[in-house]
Amino acid sequence: MEPEVVEAELVLPTHMKFKKIQMYEKYPKGQARVRWKHLKQIIQAENYQNYPPNEPNCEYMLYSYVNIESPPSTHPCKRICDITGYEAPYFDPRTKLRYANAEVFKVIRSLPNDYVQRYLALRNAAVVLR
Amino acid sequence: MPFISKIQRQSDYSSFSSNHPIVIDNGGSYFRIGWAGESDPRVIFRNIIQRPRHKITGETITVVGDHNPALLKYFDCTRSGPRSAFDGNVVYQFEIMEYILDFGFDRLGANQSQINHPVLITECACNPVQSRSKIAELLFESYGVPSVAFGVDAAFSYKYNQQFGICSKDGLAICSGFNTSHVIPFLNGEPVYEACCRTNVGGYHVTDYLKQLLSLKYPHHMSKLTWEKVEDLKMEHCYIAPDYASEVRLFQKGDKKAEEKTRCWQLPWTPTPVEEAPSEEEIARKAALKEKQGQRLREMAEAKRFNRINDLENEIRDLDMLLQRLRHVAENDIPSILGKTVYTSKQDVESALVKATQSLRKAKGEPVESVEKMDPSSTEKYNLINVPDEMLTPDQLKQKRKQLFIKSTSEARQQKKQKQVEEELERERQKKLEEERRLENPELYLEELRAKHRDLSEKVEQRKKLKTNGGHSNGNHNGSGGGVGRGERLNSSQRERMRLLTTAAFDRGKGEDTFGTKDEDWQLYKLMSRDNDDDDYDKPDPDEAELARISSRLQEIDPTFIFKSEAGSSSAAEAPRFRPLTKEDFQIILGVERFRCPEILFNPNLIGIEQAGLDEMAGISIRRLEASKGVKERITNSILLTGGSCLFPGMSERLETGIRMIRPCGTPIKIVKASDPILDAWRGASAYAAAMQFPHQTFSRMDYYEKGEDWLRSYQLRYTI
Repeated sequence: MEPEVVEAELVLPTHMKFKKIQMYEKYPKGQARVRWKHLKQIIQAENYQNYPPNEPNCEYMLYSYVNIESPPSTHPCKRICDITGYEAPYFDPRTKLRYANAEVFKVIRSLPNDYVQRYLALRNAAVVLR
Repeated sequence: MPFISKIQRQSDYSSFSSNHPIVIDNGGSYFRIGWAGESDPRVIFRNIIQRPRHKITGETITVVGDHNPALLKYFDCTRSGPRSAFDGNVVYQFEIMEYILDFGFDRLGANQSQINHPVLITECACNPVQSRSKIAELLFESYGVPSVAFGVDAAFSYKYNQQFGICSKDGLAICSGFNTSHVIPFLNGEPVYEACCRTNVGGYHVTDYLKQLLSLKYPHHMSKLTWEKVEDLKMEHCYIAPDYASEVRLFQKGDKKAEEKTRCWQLPWTPTPVEEAPSEEEIARKAALKEKQGQRLREMAEAKRFNRINDLENEIRDLDMLLQRLRHVAENDIPSILGKTVYTSKQDVESALVKATQSLRKAKGEPVESVEKMDPSSTEKYNLINVPDEMLTPDQLKQKRKQLFIKSTSEARQQKKQKQVEEELERERQKKLEEERRLENPELYLEELRAKHRDLSEKVEQRKKLKTNGGHSNGNHNGSGGGVGRGERLNSSQRERMRLLTTAAFDRGKGEDTFGTKDEDWQLYKLMSRDNDDDDYDKPDPDEAELARISSRLQEIDPTFIFKSEAGSSSAAEAPRFRPLTKEDFQIILGVERFRCPEILFNPNLIGIEQAGLDEMAGISIRRLEASKGVKERITNSILLTGGSCLFPGMSERLETGIRMIRPCGTPIKIVKASDPILDAWRGASAYAAAMQFPHQTFSRMDYYEKGEDWLRSYQLRYTI
């Protein structure tokens, strides 16, 4: 290890004095890394236990991670131009981008396709082929 | 102002007694750890790890937090981007969490065989029990922590500010974090989780949005737009507009205020050294060199011509001699003599001689004799034509056919030449007429010419546009046209093609398909092929030629006419003009982006997240609250803004207008920012952990294993102690 790296203490040491089980014992090298459950799966698992069918007395959790999520907005959707950020009353059916005026339209029509997809991806509207 | 990580190893770990709690604020952006009762965390670092591989030794090491990028050059970081333990605001990667905790405890100075202090760690609101239990397990098993308590960071922040009287015991906490934003109402000092509201938009999304916008606008500067740099830009320059629509209108109109609000980031740039104009002697030297080269070439050409003339003369002399010999010798000996040479008959020799003399004359620069000499030989050649067929042998018939062919072609050639001559004369006459017309009325003539030019150029452009539009939709498969049939008007050839395609593809079903038995069927594909659109290219040529002619005339006579090149005068897809890069090319301009990016906190629809924005969330939260009316009215009187992403200038005003729109008229609305939105959560937790009753709120290892997960699910901290 280069001296300056050692000096800066960049690297996390593998053996920690205060730990009862060290990392290399828990996750031995060479073994496949543990697949952790993603949030979606965690939520699903939680919900399953939230509603046990047998016990009539148990209380449901009045609130859970999913419950407190906010609903879709009820305000009228603000439409802004994808390129400039101005207000965009117009919509280009070919590229599906919103634009504010004719100059922006010219720019939109001259964009290569991957730029169009990236602009759409900003709005989560890109065509995703799975 | 970028946050500074503090990762100095602390040395006073042993000076704390074993029931002194350690307080950890496990946030999406930063991890803060310190001792209870203190006012600042001891160790702060970014809550990410990297696992690069050392370039030389090949071992994989772990780097926690953000580090000096210069040191990372010894490591191969291509496959190891920064990774976080969070998905949203919930911890799910416990291995990464363990590395981070390792690092945190290590820098806190832990040196005994286990962590012997109770730990208070923050989590998100309504943390799923699985995440909670795994963290508890981690702390108990791997670190030997005696007891653990979980709390919500927003609540700690609120309590802390409540102590200072900034907010009262009934209020609303609006916490805008890194990945998510929460609105939590408080009643009697306790958070009401049932009425809590969370949107999955946070500082990370704002930075990401800004980064993407800038990368799309300045693709050649993408390497400079790293995530950290963009975050700095965001912190320094972004603000929240009190009303997005009116602010954007300022920019759209090009108002002066908009100019002031535009910020410009000048990237380091070195101007290309300008070449000075070559000095006088340089020019003279270059001219002399060119002269010399020209002279040399001319000499070479002369020498070549001379050689060729000599050769030709020799050839002519030889041929002459041969001819003379032939004349003196009898008929029978001719083949034997000619056999030695390449010529087959006397006529051949004569024609070769004629050709050679002609070339000689050309080489010498004398005018060539006209082609009428052909005629005397032509009567001899065509001798067989007039003889009727029956009298000829098969050989002679063949000869006759050949002669007919030759005669017709030469006649056709002559006719063409005559026509050309006539056309020339005609053109001359036209030109003279035009000149006369021009001389008598120059203005009118000019006008007419210009009008014609305009019309023609429009026509040509239109046709070009139609072609490119048709070409685009033909070549662009990506849903933009969906096929040739949509949108563009098809010209007849395209219609024909479509018809062929549909009939060919139509599955006839019953009856045998006899396509392909005859060879001509395959010609169909040629018709279908798109390359046949090239036929269209022939048609505009006369128009274009006319246009070119008119433009050149105009150029000659009209001083004000600017020759517009046909290629791309109005089409948007011009090839980039190559001009030297100027200072402006290296500037990144933040105009609308300054307030467009934080706008997503109030309007997550802008990035496609279908959830309510911050102001609406407050309304939803109050609506969900089950409390008396009086409380609901009072609740907006103390609204606390906390969390890193609430530091945007203009946020309080915007929130106030937003909430005022939702609540009934006249309700008191008071919005305060936390005293330190970033560190307040930790400070609140620290103050909480230092209180006397804190140990009652923790749970120990025994509790956890005895009571199990269900109990953990319902475990909630009581914040007022």
